[in-house]
Amino acid sequence: MIQIVTGDPRPIFRQIVDGVKMGIASGEIVAGSRLPSVRSLAMQLTVNPNTVAKAYNELTAEGILESQRGVGVFVCEQRQWLSSAERERRLDDALTRFVSAVVSLGFSHQEILRRLEDELAPLSSKEPTP
Amino acid sequence: MTSPHALETRDLGKRYGRRIALRDFSLTLPRGGIHAVVGSNGAGKSTLFRILLGFVEPSWGASSVLGCDSRRLTPAVRGRVGLVHEEHTLPAWMSVAALTAMQRDHYPQWDETAFREVLDHFDVLPEQRVAQLSRGERAGFNLALTLGQAPELLILDEPTLGLDVVARQAFLESILFVGASETRTVVYCSHQMDEVERVADSLVVLERGELASFSSPEELCRRISCWVATFVDRPLPSERDLPGLLQSREIDGEQHLMILDASGDLAARLHALGASGLRRQTVGFDRAVNAYLSRHHDGPAPSEGVS
Repeated sequence: MIQIVTGDPRPIFRQIVDGVKMGIASGEIVAGSRLPSVRSLAMQLTVNPNTVAKAYNELTAEGILESQRGVGVFVCEQRQWLSSAERERRLDDALTRFVSAVVSLGFSHQEILRRLEDELAPLSSKEPTP
Repeated sequence: MTSPHALETRDLGKRYGRRIALRDFSLTLPRGGIHAVVGSNGAGKSTLFRILLGFVEPSWGASSVLGCDSRRLTPAVRGRVGLVHEEHTLPAWMSVAALTAMQRDHYPQWDETAFREVLDHFDVLPEQRVAQLSRGERAGFNLALTLGQAPELLILDEPTLGLDVVARQAFLESILFVGASETRTVVYCSHQMDEVERVADSLVVLERGELASFSSPEELCRRISCWVATFVDRPLPSERDLPGLLQSREIDGEQHLMILDASGDLAARLHALGASGLRRQTVGFDRAVNAYLSRHHDGPAPSEGVS
């Protein structure tokens, strides 16, 4: 489920955060399910447990996970907790980074859009209804 | 006796003849966590540990381990420090059982559970002699013996050197899930950046006998960026043009520049130096550390540009 690679531009804790978010977005991880404990995920990935704890803390602070003392870490019912202005800002941010990364690669705009749709397709079951 | 620090050095220096191995080195490591120490060969890592453990005298400065002056370490304090060295030197003629019994007798605080847990990761039989163990098994046995002594400070000096994939995995798991605890400080020296990235809470970078950086691994990564551009008919930028230039390499006709603490106007500066097709790449942990260590390193100097 959650995988990490060393040498990735993202630090390991960020890869774990992204992995959990992707898992939720794709429906692989469902609300209410229990995630592996810090120690057990650290063992699966052979990483420092503090790194996993840091990722879980960030996800908890973002309202994505909820830790129940002595029981475990659970995935919350996902609701939108960011203000619409903040969501806009983050989308702009991500788009700028995306566009600057692909602009010099020589793909046509159609090709880029097609690939983007392919990537979004598995998430479409989770698409929020406006 | 209980110091809040696992180890501390103040303006520590060591001179061997005309060569300075360690220069005004000041570092305080808090207790707990895994601190990785990286540096090129000859950066002063071994000298630092020899001084800390009282094997050699410093030329100047002072150091202490678990609150005790390195020059006056008592057997009791030494007993609280575990050292695992890359060679995993153990008496070849002794059996695993005999060596274990001897080690158990030496340490009143012996932790049989930790010893067993580590040894279970490796396929070692009590009747085997040390000489009959593979390198990986010997490394595992050595780590088990060292963790059995329940050290407050565990120093690992390139412990996975020459180990195969399986032994390396078992060794890392033993460090992470048996070795590391809230009451123990682990100092982990390695050239294996993938291992360091997996285990380190904090990162100490040594460069030419000096402390170059002490931060979390992510923080060091954040400070380093890679810029790719071509410089047609223009000289390659040198460190004088670009403060913080760590490394400059030509790959496929393009120049890859690794920059430390890039200033906000760096893109404009590079354009002024004739950069075309400029783009920024994010940098992973191993590339960041390699760039940092290659600064001032022997070989093609950054200022010469082309390799």
